[in-house]
Amino acid sequence: MAKLKDLARVIRSKNAGALLVTLDVMFADEATYRRVRDSGAINAADIARRYGLSHNQVSVIPYDVAQAIKITIPRAHPSGDPLDSDVYGAQQHAPLLTIEVP
Amino acid sequence: MPEGIVQPMPAEAQARLLAPRTDEVRLLACSGILGYGFTEAAFRRALDMGMHAIGCDGGSMDPGPFYLGEGIPFVSRKAMKRDLALMLDGAISKQVPLLIGSAGGGGGTPHLAYTRAVLEEIAAERGYRFKLALIESELSKDYLKAKVRAGAVSPLGPIAEMTEQTVEDSHRVVAMMGVEPFQQALRQGAQVVLAGRASDAAIYAALPTMQGYDPGLAWHLGKIIECAGAVVRPKIGQDCVIGRLRADHFLIEPGHPDKSCEKIRIAAHTLYENPSPYELVEPAGTLDTRACSYEQVDARTTMVAGSRMRHAARYTVKLEGVRKLGFRSMFMAGIRDPGLIGQIDEFTAGVRAKVAEETAAMGIAERDYRLVFRTYGRDAVMGTLEPERGELPHEIGLMVECLARDEEQSRAVLAKARYCCLHNDFPGRLCISGNLAFPFSPSDISVGSAYAFSVWHVMELDDPLEPFPITMIDVGG
Repeated sequence: MAKLKDLARVIRSKNAGALLVTLDVMFADEATYRRVRDSGAINAADIARRYGLSHNQVSVIPYDVAQAIKITIPRAHPSGDPLDSDVYGAQQHAPLLTIEVP
Repeated sequence: MPEGIVQPMPAEAQARLLAPRTDEVRLLACSGILGYGFTEAAFRRALDMGMHAIGCDGGSMDPGPFYLGEGIPFVSRKAMKRDLALMLDGAISKQVPLLIGSAGGGGGTPHLAYTRAVLEEIAAERGYRFKLALIESELSKDYLKAKVRAGAVSPLGPIAEMTEQTVEDSHRVVAMMGVEPFQQALRQGAQVVLAGRASDAAIYAALPTMQGYDPGLAWHLGKIIECAGAVVRPKIGQDCVIGRLRADHFLIEPGHPDKSCEKIRIAAHTLYENPSPYELVEPAGTLDTRACSYEQVDARTTMVAGSRMRHAARYTVKLEGVRKLGFRSMFMAGIRDPGLIGQIDEFTAGVRAKVAEETAAMGIAERDYRLVFRTYGRDAVMGTLEPERGELPHEIGLMVECLARDEEQSRAVLAKARYCCLHNDFPGRLCISGNLAFPFSPSDISVGSAYAFSVWHVMELDDPLEPFPITMIDVGG
């Protein structure tokens, strides 16, 4: 087992519009990308648990040409709303760092 | 003709530019945002290659609802003027069009006027003459209400249906234009186009789709270069990117001679700020990148082919709008006392109750304001989702903000909150002279008007030009 933060080259988050946050996990080499993609460690049910959502609110898309896995989730509050805490959605990736990959 | 006046682009040159072609059209994206900057080395090299148009995106909704609501840019005037002056110099000296989308950030009427004033100041300083097209994108309430009644507006993501009340309560709403208003402006002879809110990629797709190039390739090229330096390595600030579009593929290379555009960065760019890397929704259809190939043709250039545009049954534009919430003020202070850090939630709940009591005595009801406590160092970023919320830090940055009807009320409530936070008691308290470390005086800061996104929808259009009126202006004439 390894933690996702030790396998990925990039783990980033950002708004995809004012209502969604999109998280990209990118890998430096194809072997590591395939290992993580094929392990199923990044899956909607686990992401939903980490972000307090139901699994049908989570989209997980592998993107082979960029050796990346994209995760998109709804924001808890729209960007810049009174209870929002991250206008750009740029610091919502921390719950992904500890995903265990076989 | 006064001395020193630079002649406008001749009509024949403009007509030649818009004519169908199949060889190669070269487009320059100067910076990811007008005012974020670019190097002169990259810009000059690109101009020397012979560009057919110079472009720059001016906007984004990423900085949040305030800038659209307030009608101001999120870059400084100095930075905007520096970038715009170089771009205008390039466009005038090479006699090519300059296309700016989402002028002033939000693309509303005041944003457009702001950018126009900077542009005209530069033109006057240099004695330039050119035809300017201003394309408005701010919608009137009457126009939008009629669209709501006609059933032409629907939510874009998890947001409520738009009603006439939503429109009435809004402060400013803009529509995001596609390529058609840019094309109309160019047909009318504009050398410089200042557009309101516009699809980023449309700035660059406008010219080649007029010239007969494949719309899938043109839009994909636009999407990749609109963030300019984002696809350039090494990534040191923003910089120019060049797109060269041909009949069945396009090439992306950096403006700067010492930088490169690597295949994987180009492929990765469709991930950025999109829910899916395979589908990008634009007004006339969806760009589909599933069949794309990416090839490194030399150390600095990537070739892309296979992009497809699937035309939609209905032409739609995105709507972005905000409503005004009131006025926000805030203070931030440090807490170092472990006893207080260990019971911070109970403490802030006590402050909230005490503030309600004190403000009621001043005639301000609790329902008239919103008091928010953010505990930086513990969970201010992730809230209850914070995985390490249970581990107590040795220090907390406590941010307290008050949102109320106006500045006077907001500051009155905040001042009470500050006093209560500083002096309220808590069990086991040792630090009886004060609970907070303020970094400076004054402690209370007026943040400004507060806005929230209330419109994030799409609107169907029969005519892609309808909500985007174009005004032609002879600058220096």
